[in-house]
Amino acid sequence: MTTAEPLTTDPNSEAFYAAALDRISRFMLVLTITLSAAAWWRYGWRIVLGFACGCAVAYLNFHWLKRVVTALADRATQPGRTQSSGGVVLRFLLRYVLMGLGAYVIFTVSPASLYGLFAGLFLPVAAIACEAAYEMWVAVARGT
Amino acid sequence: MRRLLSHLFMALAFMFMAVPVFAQGGAAAGAVNWVAITAGFSMAIASGLCALGQAKATASAAEALGRNPAARPGIQLALILGLALIESLALYTLVIIFAKVN
Repeated sequence: MTTAEPLTTDPNSEAFYAAALDRISRFMLVLTITLSAAAWWRYGWRIVLGFACGCAVAYLNFHWLKRVVTALADRATQPGRTQSSGGVVLRFLLRYVLMGLGAYVIFTVSPASLYGLFAGLFLPVAAIACEAAYEMWVAVARGT
Repeated sequence: MRRLLSHLFMALAFMFMAVPVFAQGGAAAGAVNWVAITAGFSMAIASGLCALGQAKATASAAEALGRNPAARPGIQLALILGLALIESLALYTLVIIFAKVN
């Protein structure tokens, strides 16, 4: 029978991976600014408006997802001091309400901007891809 | 009693399936919007499967946290990224459906 060993023992690696969520948030902000400027130049302000709304909703959505998961982890690891489960569930469901409301408003005001909104909603995926590429680059640079 | 009810529900299901037999034929029958019907079914399937995936990921993470609280940062990071990527799958379906229906 073999004993399980921890995956990472290097404190530098642990600190590096612990900062991944903050880096993803920063990637989201950078991508929002960069892609909005590119879309303004290529498609015009209507699409950019929808894209910016989508990015804002996606950023808020990701932020609330982090808070909900943190609350869930608190509940699993520290049973004594936890916040109410109603608040956690409400915040989890409020994300979908916000996304639906944003899509409805954009669709009502300007249907042409809806494609921009959809593109903006994929911002976390692009930021996670950037983070994966960055981690790969760091791993190659370190020679690990 | 349960057997009787199951027979009854099966008979009702067959009766509901037989309803299109009484539908008007000819030109009206060709006007079925299959794209919209398929879009609705595919969105429902995608949402359901994404919900199952999120539930499975959350349950596994909660179980892992309960067993090994010291591994919290890694599990929490993996759960957040997993949930975000699973949600994006439903969004992919929504975008494809919207593009096809419009």
